[in-house]
Amino acid sequence: MKRFLLPSILIGLGAILTALSFLIGSGGGNGTVDIEIEKASFIMPAAHNVYSNSEALDGKYYLFKAKLTNPTKATLEDVTVSYRVPGFIEWTEIAVIGEMFEGQTASVVCYPKFKDDIVEKMTESMEKAEIEVTWDGADDDDIVEEDFAFKIVDRNLYMFTGIPGDEIAGWSDVYDNDALLACFVTPNDPIVKYYTQVVQEKVLKGDQASVSQNPQDAARFLMGIYEATRMSHMVYSGTKGIPQSLDDVSSFSQHNRLPREVITGNTGLCLELSLLYASMMSAAGLNPIIFLVPGHAYPGFEMKGTYYAIEATKIGGEGLGGIGSVQEALESGEKQLQEWFKMAQMGDPRYTMVNVHELNQQGVVPMALKDDEFMRQKVKEIGEKFEPTVSENAKAPKKNTPRNNNPRPRPDNASNDNTRVVDSNPNSRRTSGPLSFAIPASWTYSKYPFPEVPIATAAAMSPDMTANAIIYDIPASSIDEALAYLYETLYYMGSEVAYQRNGSSITGETYSAYGTFRWKGKAKRTGSGVRIVATGANDMTYGQHSGTINSIYKSIR
Amino acid sequence: MKAPKYFIIAILFLIGTSTFAQQPMKQKIDMVLDKYGNADLKVSMTMNASMWQNWVQSFGNNPAALKREMQRAMPSYFLDDFNLDKNDMDRSWELTMKAYGVCKVDKRGNWYLETDEKDVDLTELTEHKYMYVASPLEFGGQIQQTTMIEFPEEAEGIKVDEDAYGKTVFEFDMKREKAGFNPMTGAGLLLLLIGLGWLVTNIVRKPKEA
Repeated sequence: MKRFLLPSILIGLGAILTALSFLIGSGGGNGTVDIEIEKASFIMPAAHNVYSNSEALDGKYYLFKAKLTNPTKATLEDVTVSYRVPGFIEWTEIAVIGEMFEGQTASVVCYPKFKDDIVEKMTESMEKAEIEVTWDGADDDDIVEEDFAFKIVDRNLYMFTGIPGDEIAGWSDVYDNDALLACFVTPNDPIVKYYTQVVQEKVLKGDQASVSQNPQDAARFLMGIYEATRMSHMVYSGTKGIPQSLDDVSSFSQHNRLPREVITGNTGLCLELSLLYASMMSAAGLNPIIFLVPGHAYPGFEMKGTYYAIEATKIGGEGLGGIGSVQEALESGEKQLQEWFKMAQMGDPRYTMVNVHELNQQGVVPMALKDDEFMRQKVKEIGEKFEPTVSENAKAPKKNTPRNNNPRPRPDNASNDNTRVVDSNPNSRRTSGPLSFAIPASWTYSKYPFPEVPIATAAAMSPDMTANAIIYDIPASSIDEALAYLYETLYYMGSEVAYQRNGSSITGETYSAYGTFRWKGKAKRTGSGVRIVATGANDMTYGQHSGTINSIYKSIR
Repeated sequence: MKAPKYFIIAILFLIGTSTFAQQPMKQKIDMVLDKYGNADLKVSMTMNASMWQNWVQSFGNNPAALKREMQRAMPSYFLDDFNLDKNDMDRSWELTMKAYGVCKVDKRGNWYLETDEKDVDLTELTEHKYMYVASPLEFGGQIQQTTMIEFPEEAEGIKVDEDAYGKTVFEFDMKREKAGFNPMTGAGLLLLLIGLGWLVTNIVRKPKEA
């Protein structure tokens, strides 16, 4: 037997060495995959069709993206990435990578396909996404599993940005999700369609504004919507941004009533009214536009390269400054539109527009809503209050044609603004009169910066337009009366002011649909009233400007 | 490879529109692919005085903002290793970065690279190097962009095709890396052979009678 022992030992050793070499060479087992995940902090149900479309807005919105790396020496074949969101999305394959060599990296992006009924979600919830990576020949122990939590907000919630707070650098970052407003424009909603038909039939006497592509007809349609809201005693209401804390994303959100809810609820914010107008105009075949300015939004339309607008909030309401006529609403819209173009041409990033149909073409499509018999009945009841009022000879608004074809002009250093009053000596820039203050060198200074707020007589603005110092000259006999006057004025503009007064010093915050503005200032009685000088910045950028704001505040005298 | 178009969008984001009314600007993009389908990207540009002033204010003095714009403009990829070199004297800059997973591999193991452009007028410089010049409509043809794409030596059978949307794509095979000689495998096999040989010899040869 001895003559068989040594050869057998050699054979055994050879077999072990050979087997070990294959095991070690392949990195052990059947390979593995390293995975790195970047996830979204929240999903807005209203925009679920944007998240699901890799082409929408160039793929900006996704649930997660995964970086896969093969760290082993084995070549992995048919590497498959799947995911699920329990309760919402079943296991779904998002990528199959034919082969992954040693050290190879692949990037996989998940555009989640939520069902249409997600738009019926009325409460927000934390959900878990599960990811699984497998490949040919992988054992159960080899399969890579990952998961992460994210929030699905309710269908009405609109988050202004998804950019982490420490990366916010300016106004455009704070309002990075503006394009998603187009998802809240719902021309295909059966209730909106029905309401549009009722308005066309009863207020406009059967006019079809879209057919002629005549600006006069389109303007009459716009006026018809205003008259309809006025006749139904719709009321303009105020709101404030709500800070949200979602992982590392600090954002402001707004609870947007959908156009159907504005119609049946008979009340709406400036933005909600704008969404309603846009929905109805789109349903009628017009090209709706929502104009966004600091603290306010108003609707309009574009036809043949010309823009038109109306101030939808002129419906006001009892206790909110009365109800404006349709002509007043048009004139106000016209005036604001001129201001919009002036500021946009100057490159002010706060003056933007939501071109609904242009965004629709980029994949930002409206949410699909089901018919609702109760709401239909409600629309019918509202329609009974309507009577024809918009005559065929109604005066259409003037044209507002941009000076070039760029719908969102970008900053241009060339200063062609005649309204700016900048001291020729930058070393001694200071406002005049009581409570004067030093104007930072890089800030611009202008008189009557907001035509719709005449008590704001001058303002200095930071280059990124998120911080300012404003002089208010208020016809009041005391500081308290002046503050009350200021509160009412800003409330009418859709903002709510909260303040604390300590002698002549005041600190406060102003809430609006566009977030919170933190400020501090001083007040002083003058010969003709009270002057208040306030300086501050948007909450998101306050940290960046705090030094400058303190300097301005200290320089007030 | 949606990179080139987005480079322009991101880099010119804050440059005033008035500058476009002047002579066309030139931008060069070099994309060097490695055998794993990742890309080393280099974007370079020389600017006139007014453009330079704007660019320095917006990005030149804040490279982090440029990095962020790039990451937002190319959500499909993982970008890393950013580096920005600028030459104030020449008013020029050069941005380099690494983009992972630029090439895709389909179920059949075919590799492909998307250009995200229709009817790209390609010039084949060498078997592994291609070039095309474009003037994106987004900027009214005022930007002339030269893109060089260099495939790795391992890439074989490179051909130009169109995807379902009519966009130009490169299709190619990537040579598999053959595993090199493993001494441990060699030693094991050698022992196996010796052992087997010895065993067979012992079986065949009859033991001597005592």
